[in-house]
Amino acid sequence: MEDNLVLSVQDVSIIYQVARGNVKATNNVSFDLYKGEALALIGESGSGKTTVSLSFIKMLPSAAKVTTGKALYTREGKTVNIFELNEERMRAFRWQDCAMVFQGAQNAFNPVLKIKEQFFDTAKAHGWRKRKEVYDRALELLKLVRLDPERVLESYPHELSGGMKQRTLLALGVLLDPQVVILDEPTTALDILTQRAIIDVLKEMQGRLGFSIIFISHDLALAAEMASQVATMYAGEMVELGTVDEIFYESLHPYTLGLLQSVPRLERGQDELTSIKGNPPDLIDPPSGCKFHPRCDFAEAKCAEKKPEFATYEKEHKVACWFPEKVIEARQGLWEKAS
Amino acid sequence: MQALPAKSQTQPFSFLEKIWRNYTLRTVIQSIFTVWAVITFIFFLVRLMPGNPIEIYVNYLINSENLTYEQAYNRAASQFQFDPSASWLEQYFGYIGQLLRGNLGESITSTGTKVIDQIMRFLPWTVFCVGLALLLSFVLGMLFGMIAAYYRNSWIDNLISIIAAILGAVPDYIWGLMIIIICGVQLKWFNVGDLRGTFDPSLQPGFTFAFIFSVIQHALLPILTYVMGTVGFWILAMRGSTTSTLGEDYVNIARARGLSQGRIITAYVGRNASLPLFTLLAINIGFVIGGSIIVEELFVYKGLGSFLFWSITQRDYTTMQGILLMITIAVVFSNMLADLLYSRLDPRVRISGDS
Amino acid sequence: MEEPILEFKKISRSFKKGRTVIPVLQDIDLQVQPLEYLCLVGESGCGKTTSGKILTGLLRPSSGQLFFEGRDVSTLKGADYTHYRRSVQIIHQDPYASLNPTHTIYNSMSFPLFRHKLVKTREQARARVAELLEVVGLTPVRDVIDKYPHQLSGGQRQRVSIARALTTQPKVIVADESVSMVDVSIRISILNMLMAMRETLGVTFVFITHDLALAKYFAWKGRIAVMYLGRIVEIGPTPEITLSPEHPYTKSLLSAIPEPDPDKTRTKEQIRLRSEDIPRLTELPAGCSFHPRCPWFVPGLCDKSVPSLEPFAASELRLACTPLSQGKGLNLFETRNLA
Repeated sequence: MEDNLVLSVQDVSIIYQVARGNVKATNNVSFDLYKGEALALIGESGSGKTTVSLSFIKMLPSAAKVTTGKALYTREGKTVNIFELNEERMRAFRWQDCAMVFQGAQNAFNPVLKIKEQFFDTAKAHGWRKRKEVYDRALELLKLVRLDPERVLESYPHELSGGMKQRTLLALGVLLDPQVVILDEPTTALDILTQRAIIDVLKEMQGRLGFSIIFISHDLALAAEMASQVATMYAGEMVELGTVDEIFYESLHPYTLGLLQSVPRLERGQDELTSIKGNPPDLIDPPSGCKFHPRCDFAEAKCAEKKPEFATYEKEHKVACWFPEKVIEARQGLWEKAS
Repeated sequence: MQALPAKSQTQPFSFLEKIWRNYTLRTVIQSIFTVWAVITFIFFLVRLMPGNPIEIYVNYLINSENLTYEQAYNRAASQFQFDPSASWLEQYFGYIGQLLRGNLGESITSTGTKVIDQIMRFLPWTVFCVGLALLLSFVLGMLFGMIAAYYRNSWIDNLISIIAAILGAVPDYIWGLMIIIICGVQLKWFNVGDLRGTFDPSLQPGFTFAFIFSVIQHALLPILTYVMGTVGFWILAMRGSTTSTLGEDYVNIARARGLSQGRIITAYVGRNASLPLFTLLAINIGFVIGGSIIVEELFVYKGLGSFLFWSITQRDYTTMQGILLMITIAVVFSNMLADLLYSRLDPRVRISGDS
Repeated sequence: MEEPILEFKKISRSFKKGRTVIPVLQDIDLQVQPLEYLCLVGESGCGKTTSGKILTGLLRPSSGQLFFEGRDVSTLKGADYTHYRRSVQIIHQDPYASLNPTHTIYNSMSFPLFRHKLVKTREQARARVAELLEVVGLTPVRDVIDKYPHQLSGGQRQRVSIARALTTQPKVIVADESVSMVDVSIRISILNMLMAMRETLGVTFVFITHDLALAKYFAWKGRIAVMYLGRIVEIGPTPEITLSPEHPYTKSLLSAIPEPDPDKTRTKEQIRLRSEDIPRLTELPAGCSFHPRCPWFVPGLCDKSVPSLEPFAASELRLACTPLSQGKGLNLFETRNLA
């Protein structure tokens, strides 16, 4: 198993320096990403999921700073701490080792260059200068994402629809055969049938090329379908981490449970949904103890006093909560694994 | 079940509509109309100015040669090809008729000289001087505008922006005056008198080093003045355009793709940020023809601008009309050029214009 | 049946862009019954937002009539027209865009009160604004009323825009994607609040969304109209639409949506469309607009004439599908061709 470790994130904290003070955007986040795995970072806006992902390719805004932690990346037996790469090595690392596909592909391509030029650009930046080879590889990848490859390569971005651009971006994302692909809300703002096409294409590409995925989403259904591992993030902290089945059927954190109870499901009759009370916390002045305690139905005095450790509950299933038993009890009979 | 509604209905004037829908044709028709409207306007406007060429000359003769009004008038009338008693409408149709035959007419005050010849004598100097200044100003503006945008909110940006704002706020002739007064008169860096005209009159025009050097020497100060007067605008325009381009997703993603900084600056930021500026540049080319009357007068630079000024003082109607027609055509044409250029540079426009 | 509060009679709407005419809505017949839950569902370009704008009088139909309480809106004048405009309000998707950033919440909300002469003095206005903010759950009111939009969270802003829609005491509120920009954990509380407002204030809701699961939750006791490229393709009671839809487009949509349940979403039966390209509104295919993508396409039938919305068999559904309304059932196009 250790051999297949691609990215090991250890205790990463990131702050934003703003006029009112320091925003603790990400706090002590740790996780391991193995080859071929798909890890979903689930959380609401401001939960720090995008911030932590941006730090892996050193593209945080200038006001943000990584204060603690390591991100150890391994390729062919060699391990480096991403945060220690200098500018030139970072440039090489981007896209070739870790490609990040941002939210909203509408504007992802330079409007004045043909798609093929943007494939060539990417290859050339990483020392791959044989245009014919790049072209052939691009053809192959575009076919994989079910597009008409010649037409797309000869097009300008505005000639493609939103869904086509998103798929083209995915193809471009794997052009250099990266080990890690980060997808930030890959299907948000796309139509349902287009979303489905993207999901199918992604699954197929991952099966074929074997890269690992970190994907950032607020869409639980997408995580259920795409992910092998799921991490729930709240207020910049990872509060639960487990396999997709563990998170969806055996959740241990009240916030995860709250999210699951607030999403409607199509396959069954009338939904009994409940919303998580309150509002997301102020990250400059977060609540004491467990940051979720003011919104938590199970909170006790202890929760406000002391922050629970993010610790293993069983096997690889980790949680940061004082009373996971209460959650286990509360979810009885709500939903179960079908088998 | 219902059938699809019939869509095409024939309309009586559909052929006119078809002409109107042809983009090129429409642009040409619009341009011709614009030129006609402007020359008509100019024609009557110049005649509304107080005095006419004969009266101006009569006054000159009375003052300089001590002639009686009668004598002066007869001399003036015999020298000029101008009949002040002809009605404006008569003159107008005569003028339009000549124009349609491609004839700008002869100068009223310098009998026998064709207006077109006069224009061709002065025009190259202005085009050279203002054109070079525009190009220089544009390039400098793009460069400093981009630098300011890249280092926005740093001291470099503040410095560039403040200088650009000051340069942009003060009109060019003020800069010209300041150059003459401070550098020429106070500091005596150069002799103002030596730099009059477009080149040293003692030299024979030709491709000699001395001549070319003299041409550049004489054009230097007007060019500097023009650049100072316009560069601020270009810097601020480029800064704004670059700032918004830097915020675009594709620039961010280009970084994430590991592209080199150089490639991002040129092909991703520069190319997109400069798109709107090229349109502005093309529009400005029109104004190159006219030059600036005040700046040319200031430096006694014999270009079309100072020639226009002279023809106005002489009320030389045909010459004024000729020059202003040139300027009008240049502006209208450069606007068309701007449209065309934009559609060449931006593929998004190219496609929607075609379909 | 009661008299509908709002009714579309053969409404079409097209936009002109240069020389092309874009038919955004075509021949819509739709009744909104008092106090019913009605959802308009569809992908981008289906005309749902245009329908909402026509309902609220923000757009006029190109042809056809809109009836409000039995009267043709285009014939209403003076006080009658004002009454209609006040009675039908809209809540937009993005509360950031719909609230003036330079006005406090009180300013934004008191303006329509004064304008419609619903209050006379500042004291009355303040009291009314406070009352409305309480209705939408923004308590304590004093924490909110003098704030600017940027000082509130996304959920709070959306509540403000709902409260503002209530200032004119409307009978109908059109909610256009009103929760799609709100965090998952808060969405349900806003939907629940809207549903409670129907009971307490007697407001009828027309809910416009691309999210079928949300539509299902909101309108479980009401109806869903599924729209595709400017037409309603299927309409009926929510349970039937979401659990046993008949129209090929609705079936495809439902099969494409991932479920927040790993087992169910992975085993969900997928309907593969014949084409992923959405036709442009300016180049609509002949006959049924869905036929180039429909897996159950019948050549010579579906591509000949536009199907009209007709009652289907014994169900309460009405749908626009030629093979179904001719009682031919659905047969997969590919398989039949092979046979």
